[in-house]
Amino acid sequence: MASKLQARRREEFKRYKEDTQREGKPFFPYAIYHDTVMSVVTVGVIIGLSFVWYFTADDTPQGDGLEAGVLGPWYADKADPGTTQFVPRPDWFFYFLFYLLRIFKWPETVLLGTVGIPTICLVLLLALPFYDRSPERRPLRRPVAMVAAILTVISMGVLTWKGATAQEALGSEIIASGEIEQWAAEQGFSDSREAIDGASLFAQTGCLNCHVYLGIGNANLGAPELSEVGATGRGADYFKSYVANPAQFGNNVMISYSYLGDENLGKLAAFLDASKGHGAAAEGG
Amino acid sequence: MPKSARRKQIEAVALYPLDWVEERSGLVGYTKWFLFRKVPRDINWMQTLGSATLTAFIVQAVTGVILAMYYKPDPDRAYESVVKITDEVTLGWLVRGMHKWGASVFIILMFLHMGRVFLFGAYKYPRELNWILGVLLLVTGMAEGFTGYLLPWDQTAYWATVVGININATGPFVGPFLAQFLQGGLAIGPDTLSKFYSLHMLVLPGAIMGLIGLHIYLVTRLGVTSPPWSSVAAGRPRPEENGPGGGRRGLIRDPAELEQAEEGEL
Repeated sequence: MASKLQARRREEFKRYKEDTQREGKPFFPYAIYHDTVMSVVTVGVIIGLSFVWYFTADDTPQGDGLEAGVLGPWYADKADPGTTQFVPRPDWFFYFLFYLLRIFKWPETVLLGTVGIPTICLVLLLALPFYDRSPERRPLRRPVAMVAAILTVISMGVLTWKGATAQEALGSEIIASGEIEQWAAEQGFSDSREAIDGASLFAQTGCLNCHVYLGIGNANLGAPELSEVGATGRGADYFKSYVANPAQFGNNVMISYSYLGDENLGKLAAFLDASKGHGAAAEGG
Repeated sequence: MPKSARRKQIEAVALYPLDWVEERSGLVGYTKWFLFRKVPRDINWMQTLGSATLTAFIVQAVTGVILAMYYKPDPDRAYESVVKITDEVTLGWLVRGMHKWGASVFIILMFLHMGRVFLFGAYKYPRELNWILGVLLLVTGMAEGFTGYLLPWDQTAYWATVVGININATGPFVGPFLAQFLQGGLAIGPDTLSKFYSLHMLVLPGAIMGLIGLHIYLVTRLGVTSPPWSSVAAGRPRPEENGPGGGRRGLIRDPAELEQAEEGEL
């Protein structure tokens, strides 16, 4: 069977070469004329986008072009590893991947999202000519391929759209929505002023950009959930020195928060130590 | 002096450099092979997406070279140099804008070109290798997008890279090593930036140029496909293969042939 398929393919390609030689037209100037028109359009679109981007962005007291126009600002503020209010998000063509990772929760299924599905998709894409072996090229005679392609386009589109519109928990929103009081009630630290201040710092300092706390935060980055981090009883001093210098504890991913200062680190540590997990208040009370 | 003789002389003088190069390299022959190859007569506008992608890449290469003349890959000066390019350098905003938006156009065109190849079934025999080269170009092109996004060293850039590197770190086996390599230190800092810069302007563009060269070589060697629905598609079935009439088709009507003709097969 395989040899019959091989013979049919070779026969068809031989006919292709004959037809092209007999009826075809030279690439130069016929095809290259269309290519040139299309290339001019491409460069025109790129220049057009640059103009719209540059001339619709507005100046702010902090600097020129910082206020987003139709296509975003010229640049954001300078990078600041200790930022408080920033939503981490990749460039738009990675939104599908970014959102795919949000669907899977740390730690049980995150491997599926980060490695499993993208790897399988890439292998399927690379190997396409090897499992789609029929010589048929007419779209209407390739229903499986066409349906698979349409489904792929739709899922990429939906994932990109969801990735573009996904809202992250931001420190100010968390504090404004009264989340801190709920945390205090749930974890049973309502009477500790220090732990409550620590919780506000926790929200503002951007910890939730990487960690999850009681269902809020970013589960995509592989950082551990912190809802029950205090349950191990390592004590506030441990958390204080950990947050000040994670590398000392073998954690080379998390940055140092020593810039917060001794007092603030103490509050943060008190909050982490008081986070004993769901139902801790009930047990304690 | 007869005109034709003079004309021959002029032509000989004009062609001398070409002959000289051809004799020593064969390059003129290769160029003719590329330019004057036949393409099917029914190719259409969708088949210009590949060369449009190449144009977008050339825009990236040219604007990238200009940006590299002003950009400083150092966390203390990167942001300031990007601000300077945008605000002070003559037409710097246009060069940076074209590089920034050209990247998106490049990636969109790669996807559209891939969609066209898929629709036409142009990845099938004997063009399988060229499909693989195309997928590799897509991957390296997106890696260009990832590494280039950090370079302005603003908040958007920095935090997008934090997300990206941490995603790498969750991969099995090589994941943590890859993340550690990309990050190049305890936190995203000077080493990360120079690594991304080197990958973005040396390693990946080099790989892309090599892959594009192979990609275009195979296109030239194997030819461009006709739209599969075209009635005059190159490689269409021969009439004589479909019926007992052979070359005398039309004189002898075969029932099976009539049926196929009704279905629009012929």
